[in-house]
Amino acid sequence: MQSADLHELREFCTERRIMLCFNGPMSRSLIEEIGNALRNHLEADRVQPGAAMDVFAVYIELTQNIRHYAARMNYGEEEASATVVIARHGDGRHEVSAGNVVEAADAEALMHRIADLAPLDRAALKARYKEQLRAPRDPDSPSGAGLGLIDVARKSSGPLQASLHQRGDGRAFFSLTALI
Amino acid sequence: MQVTDLSIAGTQSTPEIRADAAAGVLSLAGDSYPENAFELFGPVIDWVERYLAAGDAPLRLDLRLLYLNTSSIRAVMDIFDLLEEAFTHQRKVSVDWFYDHRNERVRELAEEFAEDCTFPFRILPDEEAAG
Repeated sequence: MQSADLHELREFCTERRIMLCFNGPMSRSLIEEIGNALRNHLEADRVQPGAAMDVFAVYIELTQNIRHYAARMNYGEEEASATVVIARHGDGRHEVSAGNVVEAADAEALMHRIADLAPLDRAALKARYKEQLRAPRDPDSPSGAGLGLIDVARKSSGPLQASLHQRGDGRAFFSLTALI
Repeated sequence: MQVTDLSIAGTQSTPEIRADAAAGVLSLAGDSYPENAFELFGPVIDWVERYLAAGDAPLRLDLRLLYLNTSSIRAVMDIFDLLEEAFTHQRKVSVDWFYDHRNERVRELAEEFAEDCTFPFRILPDEEAAG
């Protein structure tokens, strides 16, 4: 096995202004610890408290969604792994990306939901959010995953960017990026 | 009144929770982003239900909540729905939500909740709530 080229990885991260990245299974406490590191980073960068809270919120919703999904699917360590990247944009905004393995059918449904949210303006997203907040809860999904996606879309300054990478085993790697 | 008080210490991801039946005050303070908010808020919702059923004394919520994940937002909405229901039956209920004036997101969050409530819901900048 070839040893990791850390220099290459470092150059990659520096070039893309990546402040935080993680790849692997995420426990509840790991989500909290990385979240702490993220908050400290944002504070050190003198990001406004409201904007910092938005970046943190998107990170929490996306990673908790991934954990809830993996738990519901009884995924093993490999499938349950999350890939999370948080980068700083030159214009002061932040990019939060999170990816995970999902069943092919769920992947399609997710892509549809995201495409469905894309044309909505702030008022329409708020209306959709309130509607979802009042919707009957799915007993299989106590986390409110549907609400989380709308919440992320509301905090994002543009439409959410999503992509799929088919794995050829009936599952796909789904990735989502929000710009805050 | 036979309603047991609640006192739950806060953690990094869960708020400090205090329910004082004698004073008629429920206070929640801090961040709330547990993975399953209903495990955390279940006893709180239960307390509010029992308190409202036990008599006719007023209930005031003293909130210093910061970031809420969507799972916590749903649970807090359930609590406000109980207050709203009691209010329509002439019960004296109110919410005072204090926020750090430097963080407009918390104020906006409180305002969205207030839109769906007809009982007294005050949103107050707290100059002391720094940090």
